[in-house]
Amino acid sequence: MTPRLFQLLPLLAASFLCCTPSQGQERISSGLQVFYDFRGTEGTIVKNKTSLGKAADLRIGNPKPVKVRDGSLVITGKTQLRTDEPPQKLIDAIRKSGAITAEAWITPANTSQAGPARILTLSKDSNERNFTLGQDGKKFEFRFRTTKTGKNGTPSLSSQGGTAKTGLTHVVGTRSRAGKSTIYINGKKVADKKVDGSTVNWDGSFRLALADELNFSRPWMGTFHLVAIYSRDLNSAEVAKNFKAGPGADSSPSLTKAKIDPQVELFENQIAPLLSNHCLECHDTSTNKGKLDLSRHGKSFADDGILIPKNHVDSLLWESIESDEMPKDRPSLTAAEKTLVKKWIAGGAKWSLAQIDPALYVHGNQANENWIQRLTTPEYIATVNSTTGVDISAQANKRIPIDLRADGFSNTAYNLGVDLKHISAYSDLAGAIVEEIDVPAFAKRFSSKRLLTDDVMRALIEKMGQWMLRGPLEAHEVDTYRGLTTTVASAGGDFDDAVALVIEAMLQSPRFLYRIEVQQGDGTDWPTAPFALASRLSYILWGDRPDKELMNAAENGSLSDRDELAKQVKRMMNDPRVRKQSFQFAEDWMNLGRLQNLLPDPGKFPDWDDQLASDMKQETLSFFEEVVWNENRPLSDLLNAQVTFLTPALAKHYGLPPKGEAIAKHDLSKNPDRGGLLTQGSILTIGGDEASMVTRGLFVMNDLLRGVVKAPPPCVDTTPVPSEPGLTQRSIALERIGNKNCGGCHSKFEPLAFGLEKFDGIGAFHAKDRHGNELRNDGEILFPGTAESVKYQNSAELMNLLSKSDRVRESITWKLTQFALGRPLSAGDAGAVEKIHTGAIKGGGTYVDVITAIALSDLVRKTKTSKPNQ
Amino acid sequence: MKRSPLSRRSVLRGIGSAAIGLPFLEEMMLTSAAAAAQSAAPVRAFNVFFGLGIPAPLQTEGYDGVLEPLKPLADKLLIMRNVDQVRCDEKGINAHFDGASGAFTAEPPHGEAKSGGPSIDQVIRKANYPDGLPPGMVPTLVGGTFFRRSRISRYVHSYNDDGTVAATMQERPRDLFERVFGTLRLAGSNDDVKKQRLKRSILDSVVEQYKFYTGPNSPLGSASKSRVTDHLDRIREFEQRAFEMERPEGSPPLPDRSQLLHGGQADPGGEGIDITLKQLTDEWRLMADLYATAIQMDRTRFGSITFLAAGERIRLTGDYEYGGRKVFSFNDRKHLNATGSKGCSHEYWHRFNPDKKNEELRAHAHMKMREIAWFLSRLDSKDCLEANGRTILDNSLITISTESGDGRHNDVKRELSGVFHAMTGASGRLKTGQIMDVGSEGIDVYNTVIESMGGKTGLGPKEREKRRVDAILA
Repeated sequence: MTPRLFQLLPLLAASFLCCTPSQGQERISSGLQVFYDFRGTEGTIVKNKTSLGKAADLRIGNPKPVKVRDGSLVITGKTQLRTDEPPQKLIDAIRKSGAITAEAWITPANTSQAGPARILTLSKDSNERNFTLGQDGKKFEFRFRTTKTGKNGTPSLSSQGGTAKTGLTHVVGTRSRAGKSTIYINGKKVADKKVDGSTVNWDGSFRLALADELNFSRPWMGTFHLVAIYSRDLNSAEVAKNFKAGPGADSSPSLTKAKIDPQVELFENQIAPLLSNHCLECHDTSTNKGKLDLSRHGKSFADDGILIPKNHVDSLLWESIESDEMPKDRPSLTAAEKTLVKKWIAGGAKWSLAQIDPALYVHGNQANENWIQRLTTPEYIATVNSTTGVDISAQANKRIPIDLRADGFSNTAYNLGVDLKHISAYSDLAGAIVEEIDVPAFAKRFSSKRLLTDDVMRALIEKMGQWMLRGPLEAHEVDTYRGLTTTVASAGGDFDDAVALVIEAMLQSPRFLYRIEVQQGDGTDWPTAPFALASRLSYILWGDRPDKELMNAAENGSLSDRDELAKQVKRMMNDPRVRKQSFQFAEDWMNLGRLQNLLPDPGKFPDWDDQLASDMKQETLSFFEEVVWNENRPLSDLLNAQVTFLTPALAKHYGLPPKGEAIAKHDLSKNPDRGGLLTQGSILTIGGDEASMVTRGLFVMNDLLRGVVKAPPPCVDTTPVPSEPGLTQRSIALERIGNKNCGGCHSKFEPLAFGLEKFDGIGAFHAKDRHGNELRNDGEILFPGTAESVKYQNSAELMNLLSKSDRVRESITWKLTQFALGRPLSAGDAGAVEKIHTGAIKGGGTYVDVITAIALSDLVRKTKTSKPNQ
Repeated sequence: MKRSPLSRRSVLRGIGSAAIGLPFLEEMMLTSAAAAAQSAAPVRAFNVFFGLGIPAPLQTEGYDGVLEPLKPLADKLLIMRNVDQVRCDEKGINAHFDGASGAFTAEPPHGEAKSGGPSIDQVIRKANYPDGLPPGMVPTLVGGTFFRRSRISRYVHSYNDDGTVAATMQERPRDLFERVFGTLRLAGSNDDVKKQRLKRSILDSVVEQYKFYTGPNSPLGSASKSRVTDHLDRIREFEQRAFEMERPEGSPPLPDRSQLLHGGQADPGGEGIDITLKQLTDEWRLMADLYATAIQMDRTRFGSITFLAAGERIRLTGDYEYGGRKVFSFNDRKHLNATGSKGCSHEYWHRFNPDKKNEELRAHAHMKMREIAWFLSRLDSKDCLEANGRTILDNSLITISTESGDGRHNDVKRELSGVFHAMTGASGRLKTGQIMDVGSEGIDVYNTVIESMGGKTGLGPKEREKRRVDAILA
C-alpha cells in the first residue's frame, strides 16, 4: 500500500459507515481519565491531555515505523508506546469504580493481526493484565480482569467475525460495576456479556501501552486517531455521542474546563453569597438604603466610585468594609472574607449575574453535599409492600421513629439520620415481614431448584437480590448472603429457612434501607447509573420502588435514552401512586402534620377540637386533589381556586352553610374573601392564637416567594403581642414596620399578611376582632428582587396577585424539585431548575408537567460525584 | 474419686490469647469439680476433622514423614492405615464432599445438606446418655476453623440419626466461647439458642454490608459515608444490647473479635482466600484451646472440631517451622503461579504424584498434623489427669479423620481408599501406640468401636453383615 493511499483510507472508510461521524460535536468528559488525540506529537512522546498529565504520557519505543500525520499516528511496523511508570491514579480510579470505558478511533492495517493484537492494554505481559482492547483477525476483543476472571482477563468478550475491517473504526469496550461488559463498534452495541467479580485484584504495577503487549509479543499495526479511557462505563447514548463527535473531536470539554474565567467563578461562588449574606439586607432593590442596590450591577458603580475594577483602594465598597463601617450594626466581615473582596475588586470586579437572589445562598455549601437517602417511613412501607407483598404499615408506623421535617420537608436526606430505635425497628420488622411471606412461593419466583448447593443458592441470591435490593448484587454481597445460607445449613436449617434468613438480612441491608448510588468519581456530574435512575424515578413519582418494567428498562440500558426515559415517565404517570405521592408533597409542603398538635387557647377558641383540626387537613388535601388532579389545573391555581371541601362542622366554623353529613364540595365563587390555600384553616392557624402577621407573612414570603430575611437580633423579644381595644394586629405590625431597627425586614413580609387580617387565629372570618376593632384586608405585596410594592384591596386580590406571579410559580417548582430530590436547592441548581420551570410552564404548569420536567432533568439524570480524595 | 487438680495457670495458658479473668475461672472450676466428682471418667467422643487428607502412600512413611508432629503422642494413638471409605461414594459428586460426608458416618451423603446417617460420636452419646447429659452441659459442641463452606459436610462433623447436623457450627472463637461459657439472650424474646444464633448471623451479614459502604471500596461520597458509619455504630450498639451475654458474675470479657474472614466472605464462590500461616494458626489454636477447655471443665462430652474444610481453598503464605527447623516457606499463589482457586493449596492434592517429591503437599499435611497435635496435646497435659491417673486424651474416644486417601479426582476407588484414621484409647478400650494396617472398611472400624463403647445399634444399613475389626480392640 502506498503511503498516499494509506493516508486516504480513513476518508474512504468513513464514507462507508452507516452513520457518519460529524466533526465538531462535543465528546463526553465526565469520568475521563486518559486522552490521546495525537496532535502536536513531537519526538518520542505522545501527550496525555487530561489532568493525570505526564503520568500517562506515552513513550514511543521504536520510532522508525511510526509516522505522525494530521493528528494521527500511523504504525507500520513493530513498536510500542507505553507509560514510563504504572499510571497509578488511573488504576486506582478503575479499581475503585469497578467500571471502565476503553475507546479508540483506529484504522487497522489488516485483518490478519491476532493474538489479539494489542490496540490498548494495561498489563504485564501476554499472561497478566488489568484490561486489554485488541484486534483478533476479523473481530475485536475486550479483556477485563476481575476476581472472577483469570489473571489474563479471560474469558474475553469478542465482537463477531467481520466486525474488524481495514477502515476507520470507532471501537469501545466497557464494563459496568454491576458486571456488564459491552463492545460497541461505530456507535452501535455489537456484543455484551456478564463479567462478574470485583476489581480489588487489579494490579498496581502494570503499565499502559498502545500497539503491542508489554513484553512485545502481540504487535498491532494501523493508525491511531484518538484513544480515551474513562473510569466509568459510558452508556450507549454516550458512546454514540463520542462516535458522532468523530475521530478529530477537540480535546474533551473537561480539558478546557480550566478555561472558565476564575473571576467569574470567584464572583458566583464566593462574592455573590457574601454580598447576599452581608449587604443585601439593606442594599437590595427594595430597601435600597443610601440608594445603593448591590443585588445587581449598577451602571454607575465605577463612576460613583463604589466599585472601581482593579482599584480596590479607591472603591468605596472596599473602604467601608475594610474599616468595618459596614455592615452597619451587624458583625463585620472576617479577614478571610475581606481578602476575597479585595482579590475580586483587584482582579477586575467581574459581575456575571443579572441579579443576586438571596434564596440561592441560604443553604450555603451544605446543599451541595451528597447525602444518600434513607427511605422515609412511607417509602419503607411502600417498598416492603411492593417487594414482598406484605403490608407492614401498622407495625412500621408504630416502631420507626418519625422522620423529622428539615428545610420544609420530611424527606430531606441530610436529616434522615438513624437512631438505635431505627435499628431495632428494622431488625424486628424484618423478622415480622418474613413471617408473613410465603417463603417457598417467593423463592420459586427466582429459582426452580430447591437446593442449598453453591450454584443453586448463588444463582437464587443474585436473582432475588436484584429484585429485593433494586439492582444487581456485587460479588461481595453474593458472598455474604451465601455465607448466611451455609450458616443456616450448618445449624440444621433447610432451603426455606435459608431463603427466609436471606430475605430477613436483605430487608436490613443498606441497599434496602437506603438509596445507594455511586457517588465517587472525578468531581463532575456523571449520568446516573441505570438502576439508580430507575429508583430515582420511582421514588420521585411514586414514593415507592421501581416495578418490574422499570427494572427491565434499567437492565437493558434503555433509560439512558431520553425518549425511552420519557416513555417510562409517561407510563408511570398512569399509576395511582403518583397521586398518593403528590399528597405527600402537599402534606409536607404545608406542614399539615402540625394540625394534630395544635392547642389553641380554649378560653378564646372554645369551638376548637381535634376533629376540627382533622377536618382542616382533609379540606386542604381534598382541595389539592380537586385542583391538581380532578381539574388538572396549574399548581399556581392552588392559591386562588374558588372552591373548597368542608365538613358540616368546618363549614359552620367558616360561617358557610353546611352541606350534608360528610365532607362536601363548596363553590366559593360568591365568597371572594375565602378561596385558595392561604384562606384555609390549615394554613391560617400558623399565625397562632393572635393570628400573628409575622408568622403568616413569613410563610408567604418564605414558602411562596422564596424571599430571605435574617433572624431577628438575639435581644429582640419575639413574644406575640396580643390585640387589645384600639390595637389590632395590623397596627402592631405597622409599629414594627415603622421602627428603624425592625422595619427594614418587617416591611418585606408583614404586609403580605394584611390581606388575611379578617381571619382569626383558627381561620374563622370576622369583620371585627374580639375587642370590637374593625378589621381590614387591604395591603401591599413586594415581590423579591423588585423595587416597588403592589397594592391590593382585599384578600381576593392578594390571592390573584400571588397566583399570577412568576416568582410564586417558580417557587412552587422549587418546592416540588426540593421534595423530589430530597435536599434543599442551592445556587448550583438554579440553571437546572430554571429549565425545569420553563419547560413545565410551557406544558401548562400542572403537577404532572412539573414532576415530568423534574424526572427528565439533569438533576435526576445526572449524579454529582466527588473527587477520589474527598 | 479424687478430683484432679486444675492449675489456673495452665488453664490460662491453654486459653491462649483469650484473656479469661480469674474470678470467672474459680466459678467454672467449682462447677467442673462437682461434675468430675464421679466415680469414673465419663464417656466422651469427639471427631477431629482436617481437610484434604494424607495420600495413602505418604502414610506408609509413619512418623518419619508428614505424621512427624503426632510422634510425641504416638503412645496414645492408634494410627490406622488402609481404611476404605469407597462405600461413601455418591456418583456424580466430587469426592471432597463424599469423603468428608463419610468421615465419622461411613455413609454417602443424603442429598446436598444432610449426611447419610449419624456420626460415631452421636451414636455413642445416645447409647451412654439415653436421658440426656447432666443439666447445664452443652450436649454437642461443634466448632472449627475453616473457610470453604459450599456444603455442610465439608466442615460439620457431628450428625443426628436423620442426617441433620447435631449442633450449630461455631466458627469464631468468640461464638464457641459464648456457646460454652455464656448464654445468649435476645432482648424481649425467649427464642432458643439456635434461633438467636441465626438472628445474630443475620446481624453479622448486615454489619458486613455496612462495613463495605464505609470502607475503602465504598462508592459513596463523604457525607453519605458518615451516614452509613452512624448506622453501623447504631447496629453495633444494638448488637451489644440485644445479644448481651448472661454470664456468671465476674465473668471475663469475650475473646477479641476474629480478624479472619468468616461467613460468605470466607468463601467467595470457591475462589479461595489469601491467608498467612500465623493468621490461620492463631485463630485455630484459640479455637482449639477453647474447645479443649470446654472438655477439661466438663462443659461438653461430645462433638466435633474441624481444622480446614474438605477441599479447602486457601492461598497460604509464611514460613513454617517445626522442632526448631524450617520446614517450608508457604507461598501457594507463587508456587502454583495462579490466582483464584487454581492458586490454592488444594491443587497440590490434585497434582499428587507418588513418584515425585510432592514437597508442597507434604509441607501442608505436616503443618496440619502439627495443628491436630496441638489440640490433642491440650487434653494430655498434667492438668488433664483424671481419677484413673490418665489424661482426658487417654480416657476419651477421639477419632481423627479426613476426606480422602488420594486427592486426584480421577479414580474414585483410589480416592476413597486408605483414608487416614487415628483414634485414642477410649479408656483402654482400643489399642494404642501402634501404626496398624487395618485393611477394613471404615464402617466396620466405627461399628467395632461403637460396640466397645456400649452402643447397641451401629452405623450403616441394618441388613449389612457385621464385620468386627478385633485387631483394633485392646
